[in-house]
Amino acid sequence: MNPRKILAIAWKDGLIRFASRSELLFFILLPLVFTYILGGGFNPGEADTRVRLPVVDEAGTPLAAELLAALEKSEAVRVDRMTRAEAEAAFDDRDAAALLILPAGFDTDALADGAVELELRQQPNNLNAQAAERAVLAVLGRVGRALTVAEASVAEADRRQPFASVDERAAYFDAARRQAQALLDAAPDRLEVRRAVTPDPVGYDPAANSSAGQLITWVFIPLLGLSGLYAFERQQGTLRRLLTTPTEKATFLLGTITGQVAVALVQMTLLVVFGALALGLNWGRQPIALAVLMVAFALASAALGTTLGAFVKTEGQAGGLSMMLGMAMALLGGCWYPIELFPEAVRTATKALPTSWAMQGLLDLALRGQDLNGILLEAGVLAGFAAVFFAVGVWRFRYE
Amino acid sequence: MRKILLIGLKDVTLAFRDRAALVLMLAAPLVLTVGLGLVTGRFAVGGSAGSAISDIPVVVVDQDGGRLGQALVDALTSAELDDLLDPATSADPAAARRQVDDDQAAAAVIIPAGFTDSVIPRQGAGPDGGSVQIELYANPTRPTSAGVVQAIVDEFLSRVEVGRVGGQVAVTQLLTHGLISPQEAEAAGRELGQRQADAGEAVITLRRTTGAAEPPPAFDVLAYIAPGMALMFLMYTTANGGRALLAERAQGTLPRLLVSPTSTTQVLGGKVFGIFLTGVAQMTILIGASTLLFNLRWGDPLGVAALVLAAVAGATGWGLLITAIARSPSQAASLGSAVMLTFGILGGSFISLNALPGWIRAVSRITPNAWGLDGFTTLALGGTLADVALPVGALLAMAALLFGVATVLFSRQGLAQR
Amino acid sequence: MTAILEAQNLVKHYGDVQAVKGLSFHIAEGEIFSLLGPNGAGKSTTIAMLSTLYAPTGGDARIAGYSITRQPMQVRAVIGVVPQDLALYEDLTARENLNFWGQMYGLSGQALRRRIAEVLDQIGLADKANKPVKTFSGGMKRRVNIGVGLLHRPRLLFMDEPTVGIDPQSRRAILDMVKDLNRQGMSVLYTTHYMEEAAELSHRVGIIDHGRMIALGTQPELTRQVGQGETLRLHVAEDGDAEKLAQALRGAPDIKQASAADHTVVLNVPRAEEALAPAVARANAIGVKIRSVDIQEPNLEAVFLHLTGRALRD
Repeated sequence: MNPRKILAIAWKDGLIRFASRSELLFFILLPLVFTYILGGGFNPGEADTRVRLPVVDEAGTPLAAELLAALEKSEAVRVDRMTRAEAEAAFDDRDAAALLILPAGFDTDALADGAVELELRQQPNNLNAQAAERAVLAVLGRVGRALTVAEASVAEADRRQPFASVDERAAYFDAARRQAQALLDAAPDRLEVRRAVTPDPVGYDPAANSSAGQLITWVFIPLLGLSGLYAFERQQGTLRRLLTTPTEKATFLLGTITGQVAVALVQMTLLVVFGALALGLNWGRQPIALAVLMVAFALASAALGTTLGAFVKTEGQAGGLSMMLGMAMALLGGCWYPIELFPEAVRTATKALPTSWAMQGLLDLALRGQDLNGILLEAGVLAGFAAVFFAVGVWRFRYE
Repeated sequence: MRKILLIGLKDVTLAFRDRAALVLMLAAPLVLTVGLGLVTGRFAVGGSAGSAISDIPVVVVDQDGGRLGQALVDALTSAELDDLLDPATSADPAAARRQVDDDQAAAAVIIPAGFTDSVIPRQGAGPDGGSVQIELYANPTRPTSAGVVQAIVDEFLSRVEVGRVGGQVAVTQLLTHGLISPQEAEAAGRELGQRQADAGEAVITLRRTTGAAEPPPAFDVLAYIAPGMALMFLMYTTANGGRALLAERAQGTLPRLLVSPTSTTQVLGGKVFGIFLTGVAQMTILIGASTLLFNLRWGDPLGVAALVLAAVAGATGWGLLITAIARSPSQAASLGSAVMLTFGILGGSFISLNALPGWIRAVSRITPNAWGLDGFTTLALGGTLADVALPVGALLAMAALLFGVATVLFSRQGLAQR
Repeated sequence: MTAILEAQNLVKHYGDVQAVKGLSFHIAEGEIFSLLGPNGAGKSTTIAMLSTLYAPTGGDARIAGYSITRQPMQVRAVIGVVPQDLALYEDLTARENLNFWGQMYGLSGQALRRRIAEVLDQIGLADKANKPVKTFSGGMKRRVNIGVGLLHRPRLLFMDEPTVGIDPQSRRAILDMVKDLNRQGMSVLYTTHYMEEAAELSHRVGIIDHGRMIALGTQPELTRQVGQGETLRLHVAEDGDAEKLAQALRGAPDIKQASAADHTVVLNVPRAEEALAPAVARANAIGVKIRSVDIQEPNLEAVFLHLTGRALRD
């Protein structure tokens, strides 16, 4: 095994791969674009994850204002005041999960005649709409409490001795309401919320998930594409020719694989730097651990590509298969959507995929603050994948 | 006209004989649909088509033994909340918390001793100085479920508060206005408080609607995923058709066709028609397969047909534009893949567009994916042909514009030349 | 005479198919040896075995003293291979291709650079060295294909049908190149189904058919086998039936062999001028029109026809 020849083969493959400029699209441009978009790169600082709630205020009364003020303090919804036409358009376009309408005549006087009704329009079977409903009900409860008490007090007084005039009733009501409000405001907090400590706490950070997930996806697919590289050499007759030179088969395999792995490492480095600079992620914390993980993942991916190459006949087939398998394994590995959202059975099954181990390892480093020891398991599993699939791929390798 | 048909049909047959292309035309969208379905739990055993929350496991510990403690337990185990909650009672707070720690429950509700007394002071004793708090021990890996339990407990406490304050206010006012005597006050306060708490009538009620004339069918998340994937790989098909066109030009079979007694318009028309037909065939197969395999309802057949034709026309337009710009078959292939992926993400095939800023949503309107997805979801929710008139129109307009631009570019290049 | 190549009883089976059935021959150092035969005769398989791509099912060969079965690496170092199908990286320039393959032969540094310059001159592409091979014409690509095989100064060059499907000028250039290389001392094993090339280039010829060597020797030795015969070619008109005529003439006296292909009847006769008139008369008698006539002195085609009863070109 001749190191010079290995380098020569790797260099040759690099020249061929980057001979067409469109390769840069897949090497760096698209990964950057996808990482940025999916990482929420457009929301600098705190991303506002509250559900957007268009509110139509057709009442304009003090009560309506009070209700809106209370809603705006909500942690679950973000109030967006609009006209009815705008709100309905947003709702119909499915730009908003729910929409709240405060009708004309919504004021304390109307309460005397009975309960006042607000309309909440919701997208069906929509989690955000349900969250909005709960938030609105909570606020209504708070605002309505003082009113409820005041109404009840007025009713009690009225029962014992009917009011002489509307003004008297209104004065009684206001007094009751003020007192009720004061008492309610002074009421102690009767609920303490504590968060449990569950194993592997979820940290969902869109930026970290996106950076790690896209890095894996866009490196994985071309390494699966090694299968196409082998097919290319067979189709071109160059592999055959190589075997008439005093070059060992092992040299050829090592050179081809090393070349693509090296390109992949460069690609990963660029994406990591981008993640650090553009998305503010902390990739530089544990550089050695990161390097170990990246190398292990690149080798595992190259090994899969080599095994795939044993079964693929043409370059065209290889291209389609690597894209399809690459995307599917990245998806199932949690690279596109957080794995915590998957059903239990699916989560277990995906432990068979190298992409899920790589994702886990990367998030351990970027999000969960772990060090080299923390990712040794993941790196080890990936190295295991590499060993097994290299063995199979080389054993079944077709030189013709 | 007949020649256009013949050339088109020949090209469709060729396209479906290309096994490498079939991987991305048919296998990939189905595989990814299955993948996304697995991931969103659509295929989970016993999984419902919707994503409603139900049967939230919650553990209640009542150490209070008083009226309010019992009332909260009753509320959580009530028949009304039977579908939403899956409650269990326990005598041991530590055990209850462990259940949450082990991710067996979404939350534990622990009512400490003395809760009732802290709200409603015993006869004779004054109001308690300190307050006793109910503990909600929440599972952070199930934030939505824990949030629902919290909302329920909040609602309960709200009623308790109303009861307490209500009684007090009513009695104070009655006293002030001399409507009752001091001796009656205490008894009256308790009675009024009880009545108010039990009444639970909100003065401001919420009328919930869905904004649709009839209740829509339960939304199947797959009705968003499957078209999303189909539309993305439709772009591959049309770009691949363009690549084949360029390959024919390089090989020389295209010029040969062009010098046969067939006009240029017929030849190119036939080729374009071939690409269009291939796209329609692909979509039809995918729609059929997903209906059979996943029991997916695509909606009103007329609407679906119109939307498919329009979407394929739009995608064909883009395919032709790529063909006109690319200078070699392999460039067309690369560009086609890049466009397919970019349109995929821009058009909403991967993430809901609502999560993205407004200007990206605006840009997404250039993709057939965005319009197509809009239309397909409308149809899946029960819409008709009329409801998808806008997307269909937009897609046809897109097709017309792109065809025009591509034609200009082609004629400048002289498609007959090598 | 030292033999640069000695093949002994080479056999190759693929399952039931017997592609090569016991081939033995030698190539003297400094000679051009042609392996002549129709398509499917086993030429490419033979080259594949000799260039150590396939292991022979039986037999062995020694090249420069090294056994192809036991010392393949050493054999590869002394042979150069120019495959029938182009084996180049079309996206790379001619220079980049030569550089890569040179490295695969163990060359490097200054020595490699010098060698690349020399080879580029030799194949006449020095001015196009830095252009991608995909921009080259078919003939130019074939020249690069040859150049790659020369870099490491092999002692024996295998050329497998190097002129198939290229224009006459490029073919001429290649044939001249082969003669040049040989003048500089390179031994060449040249396979072809074009008799003219074999005739022009070779010192010795081996005729192979159905996996067997049916004739071996210098051109005079081979044509002597045919006896005093000459070849008479009758070109039949468009609508004429050549097979019918061949059939009719087969039994005739003094006609050693008659075969038909491509509207042409090929006759092997002792003296062409004497056989001409009766043959034409016979043709008229059975109503086959003759357009033109060729007389050829004994050549390899005739040898093949004599030995197999078939024309070299199918």
